[in-house]
Amino acid sequence: MAEKLWFVIPELILFGGAVIVSVLGLSPRRVIREQLPLITCVFLAIAFIATPIVYSVERVDLATGLLPELGRYVKMSVCLIGVLLAMLSVGLIDRRLEGDLGSGRVPFDALRTSRGEYYAFFLLSLIGVMLCCSANDLIWLFLALELTSLPTYIMVAMSRGSRKAQEASVKYFFLGAMAAAVFLYGFALLYGATGTIELTAMQSIFREQRLAGDLNPVALVGLILAILGVSFKIAAAPMHFYAADVYEGAASSVTAFLGFVPKAAGMIALIALLATVGWGAEGLPQPIVTTLWMMAVLTMTLGNIGALLQRSVKRMLAYSSIAHSGYMLIGIIAGPGLGVNAVLFYLLVYGLMNTGAFGVLAGLERQGQEIETLEDLAGLRQRHPAMAWAMALCAGSLLGFPPLLGFIGKLYLFIAGVEAGQLPLVVIAAINSAISAWYYLMLVGMPILASPSPRSETIVRTPAAWPRVAALLTAIAVVVLPVFAQRLLDGAAQATEGMVDATNEQEPRGG
Amino acid sequence: MIAANAQLDLLTLGAHHATAIPIAQPTTEMGWAGWILWLPLISLIACGLCAAFRVRNKLPAWLTVGFLGSSFLVTLGLYFQYTEPVTIELFRWIDLSLGTGTDAAGFTANFSLYVDQLSLLWMLFVTGLGTLIALYASEYMESDVGAGYARFFAGVSVFLFAMSALVLGDNLLMLYLGWEGVGFASYWLIGYYYTRPSAVAAAKKAFIVNRIGDLGLALGLYLIWRTFGTIEYSELFERLGSGHHATQAGGWSVRAIPYLLMLGAFGKSAQLPLFVWLPDAMEGPTPVSALIHAATMVTAGVYLLARMFPFLALDAAAAPTVAWIGALTALVAATIGMAQYDIKRIMAYSTVSQLGYMFLGIGVLTTFGAAYHVFTHAFFKAVLFLTCGAIMHGFAGQLDLRKLSGLRQLPGWRITSYTMLYGCLCLVGFPYVTSGFFSKDAIMAQAFISGSTGLGLIALVTALLTAYYTFRVWFRVCAGPVKYELGDDHHGPDDGEGHGDHGDQHGHGEPHAPRLAINLVLVLITTGAFLAIFLKPWAREMVMGSTARNAEPHSEGHGFWQDPHKWMPVVASITTIVGIAIAWHFHLANRKAADALRSRLLANPATAWLPVAMENKWYFDEIYHGLIRLPLWIVGHALAFLDRYLVDLVIVDGIARVPRWVGRAFQPLQNGILQSYAVSMAGGVGLVALLVLYMPQVIKLLEGWLGGGGGG
Amino acid sequence: MTPLLALSDPLTPVALAHFLITSGGLFVIGLVGFLTRRNMIVMFLCTELMFQAAALAMIAFGAYHLDPSGQVFVIFILTVAAAEAALALGLVVFLYRRRETLSAEAWSELHE
Repeated sequence: MAEKLWFVIPELILFGGAVIVSVLGLSPRRVIREQLPLITCVFLAIAFIATPIVYSVERVDLATGLLPELGRYVKMSVCLIGVLLAMLSVGLIDRRLEGDLGSGRVPFDALRTSRGEYYAFFLLSLIGVMLCCSANDLIWLFLALELTSLPTYIMVAMSRGSRKAQEASVKYFFLGAMAAAVFLYGFALLYGATGTIELTAMQSIFREQRLAGDLNPVALVGLILAILGVSFKIAAAPMHFYAADVYEGAASSVTAFLGFVPKAAGMIALIALLATVGWGAEGLPQPIVTTLWMMAVLTMTLGNIGALLQRSVKRMLAYSSIAHSGYMLIGIIAGPGLGVNAVLFYLLVYGLMNTGAFGVLAGLERQGQEIETLEDLAGLRQRHPAMAWAMALCAGSLLGFPPLLGFIGKLYLFIAGVEAGQLPLVVIAAINSAISAWYYLMLVGMPILASPSPRSETIVRTPAAWPRVAALLTAIAVVVLPVFAQRLLDGAAQATEGMVDATNEQEPRGG
Repeated sequence: MIAANAQLDLLTLGAHHATAIPIAQPTTEMGWAGWILWLPLISLIACGLCAAFRVRNKLPAWLTVGFLGSSFLVTLGLYFQYTEPVTIELFRWIDLSLGTGTDAAGFTANFSLYVDQLSLLWMLFVTGLGTLIALYASEYMESDVGAGYARFFAGVSVFLFAMSALVLGDNLLMLYLGWEGVGFASYWLIGYYYTRPSAVAAAKKAFIVNRIGDLGLALGLYLIWRTFGTIEYSELFERLGSGHHATQAGGWSVRAIPYLLMLGAFGKSAQLPLFVWLPDAMEGPTPVSALIHAATMVTAGVYLLARMFPFLALDAAAAPTVAWIGALTALVAATIGMAQYDIKRIMAYSTVSQLGYMFLGIGVLTTFGAAYHVFTHAFFKAVLFLTCGAIMHGFAGQLDLRKLSGLRQLPGWRITSYTMLYGCLCLVGFPYVTSGFFSKDAIMAQAFISGSTGLGLIALVTALLTAYYTFRVWFRVCAGPVKYELGDDHHGPDDGEGHGDHGDQHGHGEPHAPRLAINLVLVLITTGAFLAIFLKPWAREMVMGSTARNAEPHSEGHGFWQDPHKWMPVVASITTIVGIAIAWHFHLANRKAADALRSRLLANPATAWLPVAMENKWYFDEIYHGLIRLPLWIVGHALAFLDRYLVDLVIVDGIARVPRWVGRAFQPLQNGILQSYAVSMAGGVGLVALLVLYMPQVIKLLEGWLGGGGGG
Repeated sequence: MTPLLALSDPLTPVALAHFLITSGGLFVIGLVGFLTRRNMIVMFLCTELMFQAAALAMIAFGAYHLDPSGQVFVIFILTVAAAEAALALGLVVFLYRRRETLSAEAWSELHE
């Protein structure tokens, strides 16, 4: 137990941060309330630094669990992107209230402020993702997933005052609850089929079952339900329907959060669940491969063609987020080694690009309203050149345009797919990439090449500069990080080291 | 006969001459060579900072010249340190190992340099010319100081970084990275005046046409990786030499490799049928960017084929295809060049035509000839573009050769006129005093030996046309009586601000002559073009020490008329001089005679119809307009029609519409009602669960339908 | 480790089947209710029903395997369900103030 607690030190640090920001958020002094994002970032930075220390070599060797090394890479990535996401949300929460307080129109009332709570929820949700990677039993996994999701429901609702945000929150919450029930039922069946909730024990039971013959059908159905339920978090078909509406309704910075945090949690949960049956010598059971295959194809296709029809930038990015989950499923199907490494790498890559694109949207506004349509971006270059280039670079990277970061990420996924013998899937993904060029190029071209429209003339910067700083940082990262691709991939490879051993116990992976 | 023998030789090259391909060994020293790449990158950052801090002087230009010049010096240092082909690893970039045991394969593309004579040859003129171009642009772009000045030099830096990565990269992925990088840089520079619709359209066109070629390159790269299991040059040539591909179940996919590489090369180097973007790129605002395209970037395609030259042996018809495409491009571009009035466009078409010669050279197996022509062409085409640029700069954008005359007698234009004359002489290959003569002859003579008589004749006819259209420009613009009209271009939005003492001349309709930076660069490059004559043995040695090494087939006979290498200088000289004479007759001597004749004929009512007819048809241009431009116009419009209705509507829109239709079909599901989403999701879950539960039955059903075929 | 809850003898497969049928029935009732009812509070109760169906299955399996972890899981499910209930009620009250209706269909502005 003690060593398990040792590995959650980064989470405990963030938890401390969550408590502190929620208390400080009630402060009547404006100066303190304005420092909340900074405090959040400081705690994220401490957790970032603590992670490699916690995951020192001698400690990791003692660790038990399905994916002993996963935490280092995931927690550091989460902290890194968490800092960017925190920068994105500066000045968002309570904007009108703070304005009124500043002008002295209303007296301070601790009950009406919600900035502190927002950052506390923000940190709690990140803790959820980080806990996912230490999960070694179904209870832990379930709690971690719920801890990731529950705060996001509230964050969507409080992100902005408009009805759209509340509608988004309704849809997100109810559909999320349904999905949670689905994967919980799947967990129940998994437990029933194996008699244990420990993932490592489950793994050895499944191995025996497969050696003796076929997988217990109850376990199979349980796994399928669990996968489908969890796929809500990554917005994969058929659980993707909420994504477009919710992403459109929430404020841009929260949308960026939704695009990365639940997706990371879902992907890690998927990897953990599939690791119990193992990709091993025989590969995943055929029904699961078929299910994942169909999910991947449907997800990327529906995501991309959905995005084609959009004029709203946020909806377009929402659909693109769906499509990217489809690409990542290729890596999940391909399995440990290249596949899972590519997924972990792509999670980081996608987190960066997505944050950058939404950072541009969060950093600009018109009369206090967010940027809505593509026309609003037209000719952005002339008035806001930095934001125009940031948008162009992030969209180019999302498209996978060489030599940007997204290209490297996609390359790894596709190579993993080809190596795992999933050539048709990779071909479908490549066709989808081509379809996606249509709308991503609009996101590249509109800000840079188009001449400004009357609508885009009135776009101004938001009062807080930090979202724009975050967007610029990610744009730079998208250009610079490809150079360090190998180092990042090595990190991802290290994260799955223990896992390859677990599934390779009997025989090296075929093909 | 001869051609067949040559072909045979090439085909067996893979097996017999394998050891003859010099293959680079890795070295841990010379890491400093990486600065060739880093310096342009630093320059880019410096220019970016200048733009960010809104520097309002020529600082970006001097920074760029400094950094690029240092890059050139590093290249020189590398050249003098060079002893044998080496690869220098800068850092690990992509290194995946796949599979285990005997199936072990990998995808390795490190950030490494492949230094052999071929890449050194290319790098010397790329960095050297790049520096001079930047120096020239420091004066040329001065009207944009404070506005787009830093942006322009940032673009030049990106270009040089990408070009260096393309040439020096030790694997095909780095080449591809550079390939896309130069494409991006050219998009950046062609579209420099993004407010002009024509510039934006040209930028788009260049980008899109290049994508077609890039697709070929990407597919070729993939097939090479599948066939040889590596994309690193040293491994690749080793495996090619050991006949690795023969053991693979290759078939068409192996034989397709040379053609895919060709497609990439033809796109980047503006060959038939993908040459359309290059002349349009000249619509771009600055001859400087045009120069970057003409003298350096477009040679990337030639570099690709020279570097991958042994791969042409993978299919018997590959080399002849390159030769024929090159020859036809040379001819077609030359004929088009004859009917143009815009001197920058004429230079653009001549570039396409000369690139055709280079590909002809590669196709007829004289990699030396091709590389040497690239080298000499880089110099003399640089001279020509720089003089065009000087004229455009001085005459406020005037480029119409009918509106310029007698420039060499204008004060201050002497250097421009005579350097241009030497550039023209090189371009036409004037006997013995120009480098172009030697490089072109090497290709044309070889065309008769290892190609066919047809190829050789096309090359000769093209040489005649080249001589005509080139000197049409010079006789018109530089010779004859002094007469000119200024253009209406005012060099960007803030004209006059950056011109200093020259700014006032615009208003008075006076051209302003080029000053120190432009003249200095002109003289330097012209000298370079001349000195290139003596570099012929050096260039041969450089090519032979690299992977492009190839023993050119020799002719069988030894008599004067049996060996094209012996008679070609004489025949080519005669052809060239005839071409120049025709141009002289129609565009210098008879310009005045024509005017006199015209007034005499007009005075006599009986013959007055004649000058009227001559009005339209007097100049050779107009005749060509009828003979060549008109059919071209018809073909062009037919193609445009096809393009608009077949390609755009049916193919492009059709393909684009299918996803939209599918999207629309799914749109009703996104109706915004919470519970219908829930129904869709639950339905999806239910369907998947049912499918999984009944999968054996489903598979059986499918097998029944497909008659025992696979399922699930 | 010693079981915290000692069970005398395991559930028979037949008894397990009874429990599972009940649990499956609960889940389906919850799902159908969720899909058909428009009142947000009822919809939320239906998701609770689905959660409890899973909890029932957990307990039944735990008894079948003579393993206490199923029951431990249920405690956590109840906790999470309580958290969700708090969240749901807060949200519903918040939304009711805005729109004066509890119908989920009132919230359908965002769509294609």
